[in-house]
Amino acid sequence: MMRIGLLASIVALLLGAPLVLSGHVVGVLTTALIAVLFAMAFNLLSGRAGMLSFGHAAYFAIGGFAVIHAMQAVEKGLLWLPTPLLPLVGGVAGLIGGLCAGYFATLRSGVYFSMVTLALAELLHAIAPNLGSIFGGEVGLTTMRMPWTSFDYGNEVHVYYTVVAWVVLCIGLLYAYNQTLFGRLTVGVREAERRVSFLGYNLHHTKIIVFGVSAMFSGIAGGLLAFTTESINYSILGMGMSASVVLHTFVGGSGVFFGPAVGAFVFALFGSLVSDMTKNWLLYQGILFVGIMMFMGDGLAMLWLRIVNEFKERNWSALKLRALLLPPGLLVAAGVVTLLELTSRILDQQYAAIVSRTKAWPPVSLYGFNWNPTALATWLVPILAIGAGAGLVFLAISRAGREAAPRAALAGEHAR
Amino acid sequence: MTKDIIQLTDLRKRFGESEIIRGVDLGVKRGERHALIGPNGAGKSTLFHLISGLYKPSSGDIRLNGDSIAGLAPHLITRRGLSRSFQITTIFPRLSVYENLRIAAMARHGRRYALFSLASKATVINRDTDELLELVRLTQARDKFAGDLTYSEQRALEIGMAIGPGADVILLDEPMAGMSREETHYMLNLIRDITQGKTLLVVEHDMEVVFSLCDRISVLVYGEVIASGTPEEIRSNGRVQEAYLGEVPA
Repeated sequence: MMRIGLLASIVALLLGAPLVLSGHVVGVLTTALIAVLFAMAFNLLSGRAGMLSFGHAAYFAIGGFAVIHAMQAVEKGLLWLPTPLLPLVGGVAGLIGGLCAGYFATLRSGVYFSMVTLALAELLHAIAPNLGSIFGGEVGLTTMRMPWTSFDYGNEVHVYYTVVAWVVLCIGLLYAYNQTLFGRLTVGVREAERRVSFLGYNLHHTKIIVFGVSAMFSGIAGGLLAFTTESINYSILGMGMSASVVLHTFVGGSGVFFGPAVGAFVFALFGSLVSDMTKNWLLYQGILFVGIMMFMGDGLAMLWLRIVNEFKERNWSALKLRALLLPPGLLVAAGVVTLLELTSRILDQQYAAIVSRTKAWPPVSLYGFNWNPTALATWLVPILAIGAGAGLVFLAISRAGREAAPRAALAGEHAR
Repeated sequence: MTKDIIQLTDLRKRFGESEIIRGVDLGVKRGERHALIGPNGAGKSTLFHLISGLYKPSSGDIRLNGDSIAGLAPHLITRRGLSRSFQITTIFPRLSVYENLRIAAMARHGRRYALFSLASKATVINRDTDELLELVRLTQARDKFAGDLTYSEQRALEIGMAIGPGADVILLDEPMAGMSREETHYMLNLIRDITQGKTLLVVEHDMEVVFSLCDRISVLVYGEVIASGTPEEIRSNGRVQEAYLGEVPA
């Protein structure tokens, strides 16, 4: 019941967002939602069926290109299709592409499967610039959205609502998929392939279908992106797109239905917010990813569920520990960010030019202060912050560990 | 005389230079509980893999109900009514016991691509799943993760999954391995109950189990069946004594 309430309020927030947010932020939300759908589609294959694809950008892109071609056809009057239904073309293209590629990729399991998906996507990426009529060469393809009834699609709000509708619909369908008999079998494929085939299921066909469905929803996501930007370029087929969907899914947590959505949403917002502030944003994204994988390997959504559970069980000691860890954790983060920002400013080419010209190290500006790079304090402050924060974290964990130890040992005994 | 439900004729399997199964002839009658015994490395598991389709035979024939199944893919063999357990328990550990058995029951009804049927609405399948649960005596553990069950419960679940698709021939690969005396005893009764009216072919090292469970025994040594007969016949067979039983203190 609480979950339905939470979902309803998220949808309500999404619907109300354009009323209060600026056009730019609505645009950011639109791309974030597309990333959400892509990650959810990817996780059907990777999380539910246990098949980690390293080339999912291919099906995302196929959907995108298909929608651009459909839009061009509509523009020329060659095709009749209401504008809001255009992303459907991406789904059909993704499905066909996924079934074809899936036929080959699913002949192998595990790492070999991942490598085949990677190779197929890179293959497409490599030949795409030469297939000008399909992929528009190096420049790519552009087109225009046609108006539909009272939606003239001239502003981003109309696009936004279309994207919201598609994303909500597709996530609903993905949820329904998991509730079907075939959806349950899909998890069986992840758990024990051999058992699936010895129960009388054709393992290869089963995997092809899962691959196809995942590619279909990826294609819709790609289609939505093309629909939003009215343009597409072969670079979308690159490794970066395939990697980012893996990143989003694991950051959010592939074991929870909404995990990938959380990861994609957080990272998309993080990317757009932080990239406005610093050019090192990709570095921070990487650090964040490594940190999450090291300290909460099952993802942000699982962390959230744990906290909710601790509240329900009135496990105050666990919650107290989390609260105690937060300030020193933030202190470490602040120290690391300060060090990195100072270093990147000093390593900047312009700064280097000034140094070589004036033979002096002028102060650099950060957080509205001037930091003298030759002063010890400049470096000592962030280093001390990191040290103190880390020390406090260790202290809190070891004290909590000592308190919880007898109980944990008992629990362990019980489990055995 | 009842017809042989499984019939192996001059079955051979080579891995490179070495021949592991060297011309096996074996018949298993419908409805009997047949044990396959033999020293380690005799080729018992290989023979199971050949019958169930995991390996393709190098030569010879395997017949199930009179039809050749030699070289067929495992899922096709299962659909013809032969199913198996593995030496290493092969279940879906992070699914509930109920879900494990439901996937097995789905196969019985041929719902292999049921993309548009909600699991909660599949009444016939769910009823069969409940029956299976009861049969393997895991109704209490219904919502537990299969991976959290005790070892013997996991083995029982696997046997439940083997009969789930509606097979009448069940192959069990060392069902008692690693079990305590009480567990073995419990399992023995369970297997007797579950396989009522079905044909059972079982590889087992525990001779007590073999002699009390099975109607017929075949002895495999170095990839050849050296004897086949009732427990009494096997006990008194000189070659078997020499090759195998002699090693085991009775």
